[in-house]
Amino acid sequence: MSDSETKRISRRDFLRLAGASATAVAATAVGAATAPEAKAAPAATAPKWESRLSVCDMCFNRCGLIARVERGVITKLDPNPKFTKSRGMLCARGNAGVAQVYDPDRVKTPLLRVGKRGEGKWKAISWDEAIELAASRMQDIAAKYTRCGMLFSAGADMQSGFVSRFAEAFGSFNVTSHESLCLLSGNRAFVDTFGDVPLPDVKNSKYVILAGANRLEALVTPDSMDLVSSMGNGAKVVVLDPRYTKSAALASEWHPIRPGTDMAFMLACAHVIITEKLYDATYMAERTSGLDKLSAHVADLTPEWAEGETGIPAADIRRMARELAAAAPASMVYPGRRTSDYENSTQIRRSFAIVNALLGNYDRPGGLVPARPAGLKKVAFEPPWYDDSPPGRVDAKSVPLLFDDEGSFVLTREAVIKGAPYPIKGWFVYKTNPMATAPERRKTREMIDQLDFMVVVDIAMSDTAWMADLVLPAPSAMERQDPVQALQSGAEGACLVWRDPVIPPLYESRPVFDILKALAGKLGLAEFFDFDIPAYRLKQLAAFPEAAEILKRDGVFYPPNPPLGGTDGQPFKTPSQKIELFCSRYADMGLDPLPVYQPPKASPDAARKFRLVVGRSACITQGSSTNNPLLSEFEPENLLWLNEDAARELGVRQGDVVQVESPAGKGELKALVTPKIRRDTVYMLSGFGSISGGLTHTRGVGASIVELMESRFDSICGNSAIHETFLSVKKKGAA
Amino acid sequence: MSTQKLAMVIDSAKCIDCKGCMAACKQANGVSRGVWRNWIKEAMPPLENGPAGSKKLGHGHFQPGACMHCDEPSCIQACPTGATYKSAADGTVVIDPKLCIGCGNCIKACPYGARFRDPVKRIADKCNYCPERRAAGLAPACVDTCPTKARVFGDINDPGSDAAKLLAANQGKVVRVIAKGPGKNWDTKPNMYYLASTAPDGWAVQPVDPLSFDFLTAVVAPAVKWAVGLSGLGVLAMLGRQLLAGAGGAHGPGGSADGADKDAKEDHHA
Repeated sequence: MSDSETKRISRRDFLRLAGASATAVAATAVGAATAPEAKAAPAATAPKWESRLSVCDMCFNRCGLIARVERGVITKLDPNPKFTKSRGMLCARGNAGVAQVYDPDRVKTPLLRVGKRGEGKWKAISWDEAIELAASRMQDIAAKYTRCGMLFSAGADMQSGFVSRFAEAFGSFNVTSHESLCLLSGNRAFVDTFGDVPLPDVKNSKYVILAGANRLEALVTPDSMDLVSSMGNGAKVVVLDPRYTKSAALASEWHPIRPGTDMAFMLACAHVIITEKLYDATYMAERTSGLDKLSAHVADLTPEWAEGETGIPAADIRRMARELAAAAPASMVYPGRRTSDYENSTQIRRSFAIVNALLGNYDRPGGLVPARPAGLKKVAFEPPWYDDSPPGRVDAKSVPLLFDDEGSFVLTREAVIKGAPYPIKGWFVYKTNPMATAPERRKTREMIDQLDFMVVVDIAMSDTAWMADLVLPAPSAMERQDPVQALQSGAEGACLVWRDPVIPPLYESRPVFDILKALAGKLGLAEFFDFDIPAYRLKQLAAFPEAAEILKRDGVFYPPNPPLGGTDGQPFKTPSQKIELFCSRYADMGLDPLPVYQPPKASPDAARKFRLVVGRSACITQGSSTNNPLLSEFEPENLLWLNEDAARELGVRQGDVVQVESPAGKGELKALVTPKIRRDTVYMLSGFGSISGGLTHTRGVGASIVELMESRFDSICGNSAIHETFLSVKKKGAA
Repeated sequence: MSTQKLAMVIDSAKCIDCKGCMAACKQANGVSRGVWRNWIKEAMPPLENGPAGSKKLGHGHFQPGACMHCDEPSCIQACPTGATYKSAADGTVVIDPKLCIGCGNCIKACPYGARFRDPVKRIADKCNYCPERRAAGLAPACVDTCPTKARVFGDINDPGSDAAKLLAANQGKVVRVIAKGPGKNWDTKPNMYYLASTAPDGWAVQPVDPLSFDFLTAVVAPAVKWAVGLSGLGVLAMLGRQLLAGAGGAHGPGGSADGADKDAKEDHHA
C-alpha cells in the first residue's frame, strides 16, 4: 500500500512558486499560519581551499577535474566545467578519487618478497636497493634468455607510453596492455571494415541500437551523458541485453536477447535494409565494396530466422531495421567498447560495422565519425638493435590478426607457461592486474610460477602485486606530473590534457617514469630517457605554441576541429580503399569474409546450465576501485544475479549463499534473485573475490570472475572471450 | 521572511542511478560511513507482455532526493531544543549542532527519512545544500557533479535562477512527493520539485505526529536549552536523551543496511 503520493502543483501553487517577488512574498504570508518561525542562520564561510586543475584517473575516461586543496590535503574533487567531453560531470568514482589518495591500503614503500610467492611476507627496502635489484635481475634475464625474455604489461595510464618506450629500448617485443582483455575484437572488426576505429556521435543521433554495451552503467564520456540528452531530445535508444541493466531500464525499448546471438539480429537488419532497398544506392556504390556478396549472404537471413535465434519477435526486428534506416545517416549501431565476449567476437562486431555501413553514417552527424586530428607530436627515438633477438613476439602468429603492439595476454600467458617458442622469465607490470582481469586465474598463477623475476609498480597491493618479487609504490594521479594525452569526444573533436601535481607524492611513492629512467640509467639505456616530463610535453605540443599556457589556465586545450565530412572523397584505409562489407583480407587469409552466424555453443555439461556474463556498475572500474573505501559502500560485495524462476527451481532464495562452479574454478557469493535477467544467464560484477592481503574490502569477499571464467579467446585477434563459460549454481549446503 | 527560497528541481527522467551525487555529498560533507545525506530511489518497473506469452520488465525510473527543506517542516516542531529551524535568509531547514542533543525526534518526524543520527557526532544530520560551497560561489556538491544534470538547484524566488526557469518551463507538470494518511494534512510543503511523472511515489511515511512532542517542546525544551547552555550539564542532557530515544532513530536515507535504495530493490524482488 502506498502511504505517500506525488502531488501535482496546482496552477495557483505554481504562480506562488515561480511568480514575481510580490506574489512570492504573499505566498510566504499565506503559509505562515502553520510555518514555523524562521531564524537567522549563521553565515557560512567559503572553505579556504586552493583550486588546482588535474585529470581523473579512476577509469580510462580522463575527465577534467578541479582539486580543492586545504592545507596540503585534497578535500574534494569537482568537475572542471571547461572540460566539455565529460559534460561537466564527475561520477561517483571520480569523487572517490580522494579516498584513493588517502586509502590506508596504499603501498607505501618498496617491498621485497621474503616468503613464498603469494604468501604475503614482505620486507621494506630502500629505493636504491629496489632499483639495483630490478636492474640486475633484468640484466640476468636478458643475458640468459635474450631481451625478449622480459615481458612488459602496462594498464591504461598517461605514463604507460613510457613502459612501451622502455621495452623497446630494452629490446623486448613482448608488451601487453589491458586492451587484449577488453576491447580489441571491436577494434579489429572496425579496422577491417572501415580502415579505422570510428567514434559514435551519440549527441546528434536520432536512433541508437545499444547491443553488447551497458553505456549508462559502464560510463564512457561523452556517450553515456549524450544517450540521456539525446533521448530527451526525442532520439530512440534500443537496448539488446540478456540483463535488465540501467541502460535497459531507461532505454526507449529493451529486448532480452539470447546471449551470443547479436550477429543474427544484425544480419537480419542487413537483410531488411537490403531487400527493402532502404540504403543510399549511390553512396553504397561509391563508398563500399561487396554489397552484392553481402546481399546474397543475407538473402535468407530473415527477421523470422533471427527471431528463432535471438528471441526477439521478427516484427520488432523488421520495424527496428526500418526505423534505423529511416533515421540514417543520423542513426547507428553503437560500436561498444569491451568486446571480449565470444570466440567469434570480431565477426560479431563486423556485423555491427556492416549495418553501420548500410546506414551511410560514416563521418556524418549522429553517425560514426573518424577520430579527429589532435595534432600531438610523437617523441620518436631510434631503438637499439640487438643481434640475438627472436623474430617476434612470443604470441606472434598464434592467431591470424593479432594487433602487434597489443598482443594477446591470454596467448602470451600460454606461451610463458609452455616456454615456447622461447622462454619468458621476467615480468614488469605497471598498473594492470591480470590476476583479477584475465580469465582462469590459476593459469595466470601458473604463468607467474615460471618466472625468475616479477616486479609490479602500483598504488595498491593488487592481486597481481601480491604475486610479485618486488612491489614498487606508485603515486596517485593527483601526485603526478604527466605527459600530454589526446582524448576524443565524438564529433566535437579531440582535446588535450596533462597533469601537474595537486599535492606532493605521498609516502615513498615514485612515478613509473622516474622508475624507468632510473632503470635505464643502470642498464646503459640512459639516452632513451634523457629528458624530463616538461621537456617531453614541449615536444608533444610543438604544433601548438599557445597550448601550454591554456592547459595551465583551463586544464584542457582544444585543437582546431575541422567540420565533419572531411573524409568524403578520400580513400578508406582498407585494401579496396572502400568500406569493406566483404573483407578481402579475410578471404585471402581463409577467414570468413562475411560474418557467418554460428549459434552460441550450448553448455557441454547439463549440470552447468547458466551462461556467465560479466560487467560493471557506474560505481566501480573492475578491481582497481572495488577496494576504494568510499566506493565499497556502494558495491560492498558482488552478487550472483539469478532469474527468479531459475532460483525457484534451485530452491535458492533472496540472499542465500550459492556455490558456483566451472571447469576453471569455483566460488561462493550471495544470490540476487531477480526478474532482471534471463533464465539461461547469470551475472556478477568483476573486481571481487580478491586474494591479496593488502585489499581490506575485497579480499575473500564475493566471488572472483577470473576464478570462474574459462580461458577462451577470439580466434581472429586473440582478445579474451569471457562470456563462453557456463556455471553450475547450487545453494550452499544443498545436496 | 525569506528573501530567498532555495530549492531543488529534479528531472528524474534523466537520472541514471550512477550514485555520483551520493559520493560527491559524502566527500564534500565528510558524512560518516554507512549513512547518507542524499539518495537515489529505484521505482519498481512494471511487468509488461513480452514475446510468446512471456513477461518482461517495462521502463524503469530513478528518483534522486535529499532533505526537502519544507515550508512546513514536521522536524522543526519535533525538535525540543530549537536546534532545527528554518533559515530566514534562504528558507533552508538548518540544524544547529551546538543545540542538537541527538534525541532523534526529528528523525521520526520526517516523512522522507531525510534525517539520520550521525554515528560519530551522535547528533542529527541531513542535507544542508552545502552552505560552504555556496559561499564559495559553487553549486551544492550533488548538483555540480551530476553527470546528466538531473538535479537543478537555485532560488526559486528569483525568476532568473535555473531552478525557477525550469519550474516555469514545466508549469502544470511539476510534482512533489508527500506523505499521505488519514485525518490530517501531511503535506509539509516540500521544496523538492520533480518534473513530470516521477517515481517511486509510495515511499514517504506518515511522520510521527509532531504534536505528540508538544509537551516535550513546551516543557522540556526550555530546561534542556538551559542545561545545554551549561557545558557540563549539556553533556548529561544529551546522553540522557539518547538513551531514552534508543537505537530506533539511527536509520538514515541510504544507510548501508536499511537504505531507501535497498528497500526499493527489496520491494522489487519480493
